[in-house]
Parts: sequence; structure tokens; C-alpha cells
Amino acid sequence: MNRDTLQTALFFVLLGLAWEYSVKFFEVRSYILPPLSDIFVEMWDSRALLWQHTLITLNEVLIGFLLAVVLGVAIAAAIFFLPIAKRTLYPTVIGLQSVPKIGLAPIIIVWFGYGVLSKVVMAFLFAFFPIVIATLGGLSTTPEHLIEHFQALRASRWTTFWKLRVPSALPNFVDGCKVAMPMAVIGAIVGEFVGSNDGLGNLILLATGSSNSSLTFASLFAVTGLSLFLFFLIELLGRFVWWRSR
Amino acid sequence: MMSSQTAISMENVTKTFGGPGGVTALKDVSFEVADQEFVSILGPSGCGKSTALRIVGGLLEWEKGEVAVVGQSLQGPSDDAGIVFQTANLLPWRNVVDNLLLGVEIHKDYLPAAKEKLPEMLQTLGLQEFEAAYPHELSGGMRQRVAIGQALMRNPRVLLMDEPFGALDALTRDRLNVELLRIWQAEKKTVVLVTHSIAESIFLSDRVLVMSERPGTIVEDIRIDLPRPRDPRATREDPAFGNYLVQLSEIMGVM
Repeated sequence: MNRDTLQTALFFVLLGLAWEYSVKFFEVRSYILPPLSDIFVEMWDSRALLWQHTLITLNEVLIGFLLAVVLGVAIAAAIFFLPIAKRTLYPTVIGLQSVPKIGLAPIIIVWFGYGVLSKVVMAFLFAFFPIVIATLGGLSTTPEHLIEHFQALRASRWTTFWKLRVPSALPNFVDGCKVAMPMAVIGAIVGEFVGSNDGLGNLILLATGSSNSSLTFASLFAVTGLSLFLFFLIELLGRFVWWRSR
Repeated sequence: MMSSQTAISMENVTKTFGGPGGVTALKDVSFEVADQEFVSILGPSGCGKSTALRIVGGLLEWEKGEVAVVGQSLQGPSDDAGIVFQTANLLPWRNVVDNLLLGVEIHKDYLPAAKEKLPEMLQTLGLQEFEAAYPHELSGGMRQRVAIGQALMRNPRVLLMDEPFGALDALTRDRLNVELLRIWQAEKKTVVLVTHSIAESIFLSDRVLVMSERPGTIVEDIRIDLPRPRDPRATREDPAFGNYLVQLSEIMGVM
């Protein structure tokens, strides 16, 4: 372990100890804030439960995110290449983004039911916009001199798209995915809050309702862990686009 | 060196940017470049010399006049011309070899034949050990050599160069000038080079066309009678070189 990681690790250990002992020292009641150790014990004891609900939320997030990627990229490309789409789809997308999506959650539950589908739709709605904007940005940042060069090489629009625009848009797209992935997690959790039978959001509600704060925090840690895992997954996949940092 | 065949001809070309009443970039520009001739277009910045080159390269439309490349009236970019710009147009996600092959790939030429040519091309460019390197791992001069190589890969008759060494330091620039002459002689190309360096234009060219400030027009056509092959030292020490330098500097109004 090098010096930098050591410092980071030490900081978080100290933060954890401060939590643990200040809760005990000030005699905070455990349904308000349980000591950190209680949360770890709860996570271990309820590991099967947590794992089960994590998988459900993971499933919702992944499907919603992938839908957002497919549709987001398609719509960004349409807006970029078709003037009519720029005049119609683009304002629609901006308008939809301005609707507070949390406010949409109840009606989404009414439309798509209590099951997985409504959470997928919520995850999609949260992840969609950053992907459209990032992809659009990526497509329009293709250097002008390279476009002229492809023109000089008499490349067709199709060739220019695949060999130039797509690779030069990929770095922005990856950055967009990094923003969109945690958003998709938030979307799924919000969907589970508003109406569901399972998933980590549901578990948080149940635990809080029965004053089991340790389980509430254990579920929150699970959500956070899930979100971090997915973020680093994108980061890892993003390494294939290594010219991002050049 | 000269052959009677004409590689490029431009006749009374006028080009205006921004529609009627816009800026006239070129006014009645006429010149001819013979096959395998090395011609420089010299002029102050903003005089339209790059515009002229882009028209020959088929990248810009023009209003009036005739342009022909290798005897064919121009309709967009020609297969007979390769273009090298001031910025080396390399794709950052492709290594040297894949960048060299870009033009071949886009034109769907026969790839195995092009690949057979690679070792020789890498040697000509002095990039043998860098075939797998990516653009960010190369120096500015090396990047520009790759760009020249890419243009040469499809074996065009004409090489159009828009201040290809303008962004490089003086030392690299001098070295690449010598290499360019070597490549030009080995590959027997017609070269049109746009530059604002008087010394560079004399050192490289058979003829120097001097353009006036906007609206650009060719004001002088000077034949450079210096022996070939040219040598960075001997050529510059030739009294004739000094005379051309004085003559062109006077025309350009810098002396």
C-alpha cells in the first residue's frame, strides 16, 4: 500500500471510529443512529436478505441503464444528423428532463405496475438524459480538421460516421455513462420507494417502518456498494476507450 | 525534371467567401504546374494561398474559372491528389501502420498490396521502429511524416501540402525539408506546397509563385535554378540562393 492510499484508508478508519464512539459517548438512541458496529453485525446477519434484494435492484438498474444507452445513443444520433429531429426530438428531450422525475414515479407505478417493469422505467428515465447529452456532445466535438481530412479522402458519410465520429465520440459517451449509472440506481430506488414488493428501496422502507435502523443503514450501505460497483464497472469498460485521456 | 505534361492547371479562378459582397479571397488566379514539378505558393498570411490549395484539392467550390488535375476537370476531391495539412491528421486511436492505411481502407483499395508496401514506406519515412506507436507517442515531426506517408500510400500523382511544417520547430522543419525532397525525388510526385517561409520555398522548389495580399492573386512566378539534389548547407551557401532570397524578400515587401 503506498502513502496516498494509506492516508485515505486511515482517514476512513478514523471517521468510522468517530461514528462508533461518539454515538456511544453521547448516548444517541440506536433507532436514530446505530453504532457502526451494529450495522456491520446486521449486514452479516442479514446477508442473505440483503443479497437477494441487491440482485433484484441490480437487475432493474442494468436493464434500465442498457435501455437508456440504446435509446439515448439512437436519439442523440438522430438529433445530430437529422435537422427535423433537432427541431422536434431535442426540445422534447429537454422538456422531459425538466419534469421532476420523482414526481413521475407514482404515475409510472400506475402505468407499469408494482413489479420490475416500473423500476426499469424509472432507472431508464434517470439515466437517459445524461447519455443523450454526452453522446450529442461527443458527436459534435469531432475535430473540424479531421472531418476535412475525411472529405479529402472522399469518405462517405457512413465511413466518416464509423471510422471518425463514433471513435471520437466514445470518450464523451463513457463520461456520460459514468454520470448515468448512479442516476439509474437512484431511479430504481425511487421506484421501489413509491411502490414495490422487493428490492433495496423496499427493504429500506420496511426496516425504517419497523424502527430497525441497523437494517436501514445496512440496506443503505448495500445500495452504496451496488452503485460504486457499477460505477467502477463502467470505469473498467471505459479503459477500452484509452484515447479518452489523450 | 520538367515534362511537358501539365499536372495541375488553374485558370482565372475567383473565390469569394460569404456570398455576393463577401470577402474576395482569390481574384483571377491562374497557374500551371508541370508533371513532377515542385512548386511553392508563397504569400503573407490570409492571402488565400491555402484557399487556392483547397480548391485544387477539391475541398472548396469556386465561382469562376477552370481547375484541372492531371488533365481532368475538377469535381470534388481527386484520386490523383493527396493532401497534407498543417495539423497532422492522425486518428489518436490508430497506431502508425493503421494511420498509414486509413486512405487505402476508406477507398477500399486492395489491402494486401498496400500492406506489402508498408515496410518500404516506413523506411522512406524513417519510422521503422515506430510502426506500432500511437500518435501521442510521436513527436510533431514524426506525426507529420506519418501524415505525408498516408497521402503517399495510395500513390497519388500530386501531393498538395498546406504549410505541413508550419507548426514545427526550425530544426525539425529543416530536417523534414531535406526528407521531403528525398521522398519527392524517389517517388516522382508533383508537389504544390503552400508556405510563408521564403527560405523554405527557395530550398525546395523548382518554381515559386508569389501571392499578393487579399484579394489573392499570383504576382510573380519565379524559377529557382539551383542544382539538384539540394543540400542543406551547399544549397544555402550558393550565392544564387542569397540572390533569390533578396529578390523574393523585396517582392514580399520584407526588405
